Amino acid sequence: MPSASDTTTGAAPAGAAPGGATERRSRFDTTLLGGKIALLVVVGALVLVFPQMAADPFILSVGVVIASYAALAVSWNFVGGFTGYISLGHAAYSGLGGYATALFITRADLNPWVALIGGGLLVAVLAVPIGIASLRVRGASFVIVSIALVLILLLVAQSWASLTGGAQGLRVPRPFGEDVLRPEQHERFFYIHVAFVVVALALWWAIDRSRFGMGLKAIREDEDKAQALGVPTGGYKLTVFVISAFFTAVAGGLYALWFGYLDPIFQFSILIGSYMVLMSLLGGLRSLMGPVLGAVVVGYSLEFFKVHYGDSQFHLVALGLLLALVVLFMPDGILPAVGALVDRLRPEKRTSIREMTAEDLLEHNRRLDGGTGTPEGTATPAGSGPGATDAERDLATVPPREEQR
Amino acid sequence: MRLGPTRRPTPRRTGVAATACVALASVVAGCGLGGGAGSEGGDDEIVIGISLPLTGDFSEPGKGVQRGYEAWADYTNENGGLLGKQVRLVILDDQSNADRVASDYERLINQEGADLIFGPFSTRLVVPAAQVAQDYGFLFVEPAGAADEVFEQGFDNLFYAAPAVADDHYNLLAEHILAMPEDQRPKTAAYATMDDPFAQGTAYGLRDKLAAAGVETVVDEVYPPNTTDFSNIAAQIADSDADMVVGGTQYQDAVNLIVSLQQLGYQPDLAAFSTAPTNPEFPAAIGDKVDGIVSPTGYTPEAAFPENQEFVEFFTEKHGHAPSEDEANAWTTGEVVAAAVEGADCADPSPECQQSLIDHLRENEVDTVVGPLTWDAQGRPQSAHLIQQYVDGEIRIVMPTEQAEADFLFPKPAW
Amino acid sequence: MSASLLLQTLVLGVLLGGLYALLAAGLTLYFGVMRVVMIAHSAFLILAAYLAWFFHRETGLDPLLSLVVTVPLFFVVGYLLQRGLISRLRPATLTMMSVLLTFAIALTIEGLLGFFFTGTQRRINLGYSGSSVEVFGAHIAVVKLIAFALAAAALVALFALLKLTRFGQALRATIQHPEAARLLGVNTDRIAGFGFGLGLATAAIGGTALALDSTIYPSLHWHWIGPLMAIIVVGGLGSIPGAAIAALLLGVGQSLLQIPMGTTWAQTVFYIALFATLLVRPQGFFGGRLAQRF
Repeated sequence: MPSASDTTTGAAPAGAAPGGATERRSRFDTTLLGGKIALLVVVGALVLVFPQMAADPFILSVGVVIASYAALAVSWNFVGGFTGYISLGHAAYSGLGGYATALFITRADLNPWVALIGGGLLVAVLAVPIGIASLRVRGASFVIVSIALVLILLLVAQSWASLTGGAQGLRVPRPFGEDVLRPEQHERFFYIHVAFVVVALALWWAIDRSRFGMGLKAIREDEDKAQALGVPTGGYKLTVFVISAFFTAVAGGLYALWFGYLDPIFQFSILIGSYMVLMSLLGGLRSLMGPVLGAVVVGYSLEFFKVHYGDSQFHLVALGLLLALVVLFMPDGILPAVGALVDRLRPEKRTSIREMTAEDLLEHNRRLDGGTGTPEGTATPAGSGPGATDAERDLATVPPREEQR
Repeated sequence: MRLGPTRRPTPRRTGVAATACVALASVVAGCGLGGGAGSEGGDDEIVIGISLPLTGDFSEPGKGVQRGYEAWADYTNENGGLLGKQVRLVILDDQSNADRVASDYERLINQEGADLIFGPFSTRLVVPAAQVAQDYGFLFVEPAGAADEVFEQGFDNLFYAAPAVADDHYNLLAEHILAMPEDQRPKTAAYATMDDPFAQGTAYGLRDKLAAAGVETVVDEVYPPNTTDFSNIAAQIADSDADMVVGGTQYQDAVNLIVSLQQLGYQPDLAAFSTAPTNPEFPAAIGDKVDGIVSPTGYTPEAAFPENQEFVEFFTEKHGHAPSEDEANAWTTGEVVAAAVEGADCADPSPECQQSLIDHLRENEVDTVVGPLTWDAQGRPQSAHLIQQYVDGEIRIVMPTEQAEADFLFPKPAW
Repeated sequence: MSASLLLQTLVLGVLLGGLYALLAAGLTLYFGVMRVVMIAHSAFLILAAYLAWFFHRETGLDPLLSLVVTVPLFFVVGYLLQRGLISRLRPATLTMMSVLLTFAIALTIEGLLGFFFTGTQRRINLGYSGSSVEVFGAHIAVVKLIAFALAAAALVALFALLKLTRFGQALRATIQHPEAARLLGVNTDRIAGFGFGLGLATAAIGGTALALDSTIYPSLHWHWIGPLMAIIVVGGLGSIPGAAIAALLLGVGQSLLQIPMGTTWAQTVFYIALFATLLVRPQGFFGGRLAQRF
C-alpha cells in the first residue's frame, strides 16, 4: 500500500500518467484552453458593448457601480488572495483614496487624474506604517486592527471638519467638462473602471507566476514554515499589502470622481469592506477572475434586492445569510468549484500545483488512506483500478510537504 | 477526479459558455432591474419621482415626509389634479444611504419616466440627489436640506420648501434675547450639537449671534450622530452652570441629553432644543418635565394661512392627528412645485420645461401652508421660523408677538 | 476643570467601564475556548437590549425581569451557535472564517431588528430615569448605578464560576491547553459550547443594563464592537482579568478625555491604545500570550 509520503519528491510526477494519456490530456487541455479563450473573448466583448446595449442611463450607472465593486474586490484580493490575511477594513484605503483625490483637486488644484494617482501613492505611503503595525500580528488581531482602522478614520474624517468637510460632506469636482452629460460620464467611467480592473488583474496574474507570488502563497499555507524556508515573510507581506492599498485607494478615488460627493459615514463603512471580502470569497480568493465574478454576482444581487425588496432591511439579512452560506459551504468560492467540476471531466489527473491548503491536503490524504483500506471503496469507482489510485496519489502528494505532524 | 479516462468534455464546455453568455446578456440588458412595465408616464398623468429614507437611520422623519407627499397627491387628485391631469407618486427607498439616493433619482428619471421630482429627506442626502437632478436639468424642490452648505454648492435648480435655512431658525429668539435689558440677559451659554449639518446649523446660528453680542460661550460640544451616552457632555454643561443651554439636536439625542441634565440637577434659565420638542412624543419621553423648553419650528397647525386650514383639515381627516413639521414641509414641496407647474403651464422632463419651472420660482412668490415663500438665487427661503415654548405642558407659539399664543417664559421653571 | 467635574467624570468612567468589562469578558471567553473573534457579540448585546425594551413595552414590568428569559435563552443560543456553526469550520482557516461567519450573524441580527422593530430609536422610559443620588458632590443616575451593579455582579459570578467550580476548571483547562485537557478526559467540544453559551449570556445581561439608560437602534452594535475589540487586545487576548482591567482603564480614559478633546476625538483613545499595544507589546499588557499567534 503506497502511502502519501512515498512520492514527496517531485513537482513533476508526470511519470504517473500512462503514455497514451499524454495525447488525450493535451487534447483535453487544448479544448479547455480554447473554451477559456472563447469565454474570455465573449465576456470581454459583452463588457465592451455593455454601454451601447444598456437600456437607459440607470442601467449604465448600475454597470459603473458593479465595475467599481470589481475594482475594489480585485484590489482587496492582492492581500486576501495571496497571503490569506482577511482584511475587513479595506474601506479605510478606498475612503482615504477618495478623500485624497478630492482634496488634491480642490486644495492643490491638481489635474483630476494626477490627483487620482497622487492619492493612491499617498495612501500607499501611509499603508507602510499601518502594514508594519498590523502585519506583526496574525489572524484575529489582524482582523481587529483592520476594523479598528476604518472606525478610527471615520472618527477622524468626521472630526477634522476643516479638512474633510466633516459631516457636511465634500463635493468632488467632475473630471470632465460641463458639456459632458451624465450618461456620457457613466459611459466613460465604465470604461475607465474596466481598464483599471484589467491592469490590476494583469499585475495579479504576473505576481501569481512570480517567485514573489510563490513566497506569498507559502505564507498563506503556513507562515512559520515559509519563514523557516527562507521566505522574507515580513517584507513580502508588507509589499503586497502596500500594493493592495494603492490599488484600493485608486479604485476609491475613481468612485469619488464618478460619484462627486464624499460623506464620511458612507466612505469609511465596514459594510463596504465586507462587500469586498464577500465578493472575493464568493468568486474564489485563489483565482484570478474570482473577485470579478463575485463582484458581478454580489453587485447584481444588491441591486436586485433593492429593486424588489426595497423598503425593508431585508437586504442586510440577505447579505448576512449569503456570507454565512459561503463561509460554511463554499469557502473556496465559485470558480474553484467550477474548476473541480472541469477536473471531473478530465481524462487523467492534472499535475500542476493544487490550489489547496495544507490542511485540506492533509484531510484529503487521510481520507484516501482510510479509503484504500476498503478495496473498491466509495472513493474509487469500480473499474478504474490501481491506475486511478495512483493518479489520486499524485494529486494528493503535490506540493511537496513533510508528512503527518 | 475519479472518472474513467474517456469523456467528451467539449459539449459541456460550450454548454457552460452558452449559459454564461445568456446570463451575461441578461445582465447587460438589465434584466430584473427594470421598473414596472409600461411605467412610462402617459399623457393623462403626471409621474412624480421621490426617493426617501424609509429604512435605516433617517427612516422616522422619512416616513413623515412620505405621509406628507401622499396626502398632497391625494388632495391634488381630489381637486382636479395638476394641469387637469392626475398625479402619481413613485417613491423609492434609499435606505438612508447617499450612494443609493443618487442611484434612485437616476432610476426615477430614466426608468420610471418621472415628469417631476421631489427632494429626499436629510441634508446628507440632499446634495448627491441635487447633483443628479442638476445633471438632468430637473427642478429640485426639497423639504429637508436646511443646512447652509446645501446652498453653497452652486446648484441653480434647488429650492428649499420651508421658511428659513437652519442658521436662521433661532433668529427671533436671538433678537428677543438681545433686546433684553443688559442685567437680565443670560450671560453665559452652553452649546451641544450633533455632528450633522442641519442640527449644527441651528445651534451655531444662534451661538454666533449671541457671542457677537457678548454672551459668553462656556461649553461648545459636538457629538457624533451615533452617540447614546450623554452623561459626560451633561456633566460639563452642569459644571459650567451656564445661564442657558442650546441643543443642536434631532430627536433622540435631545431626549437623552435632557434626561442626563436632569439627572445632574442642572437648572438653566433658558433651554432651547431644535426639532425634538415639536415631536408629540417628546413630553412623555422626558417624563413630562417640559415646561419652559424652547424650540424653533417652521410650521404650526394653528397658522392662519387659508392653505394651512385646508391642509390641517384634510390631513387630520386622513390620519387622525394634526400634521407635524416634516409632513408640512413635504406638503409645502408639493405646493411649490404645483405653483411652478401651473405658472409655467408644463410638466414634462424636457430641459425647456424644467427650466421654465425653475425660472418661475425664481421670479414669483408662492403661497404655502407655512406662509408666502420666496427664494434667493441659491434657493434659500426668505422667511423666518416661529419660536415655540412649552407652557403648562402644551407647546405654544411665543414669537413673533403678532402670532404668539402665550407669553415667553423667562427664566424657565425648574425641570 | 473643577474638582467636582473631575470626580463626576471619574465616576461616569467607572460606571461605563463596568459595562465594558462585562462585555469584554464575554468576548474573551469566545476567544479563549475557540480562538474566535466574535464580531456578533455586540449585535447580540443590542438584541438583548431590544428584548428588554420589547418586554417592558408589552408587559409594563421592569425590564430587569426580562433577564429571567434572556439569560438562559442566550446561553442556549450560544451553545448551539458553537456546536452547530462555528465548529463546522475547517480548523486551518477557523480564525479568519469565524470572523466572517460571526460578521454575517451580526448583519443578519441587525437586519432582522430593523425588519421587526424598524430603525426608530427606542428608549425605555422608567419612573426613575431622571433620578440620581449624590455622593461627594457627584450625581450618579440611579439607572446607571443599577446597570453597573448588574454588570459587576455578573462579572463576579463569572469569575467565581471559573475559579471555584469543576466546570470552571475544565473551561480554563480548555482555554489553556485544549489537547492536554482532552487527554485528561475533558470533553473540550462540549466545554467550548458552554463557553460560548456563557459568553453570550454576558451579552444578555449587558444588553439589559444598556437598555436601562440608553437609546437603542439596530445599527448601534457597530458603536460597541470597536472599543470592545480594542479592550480585549490591550488586555491580552484570552485573559479575563486583563480584559476587565483594560475595560475600566479605557472607560475612565475615554470619559476624562472627553473634557479636553470632545466626544468624537475621545473615542480614538481605544484605537490609539490598540495600535500602541500592538507596536509595543503585542501579547497585551495584562497576561494573555495569544495575541501574536492568533
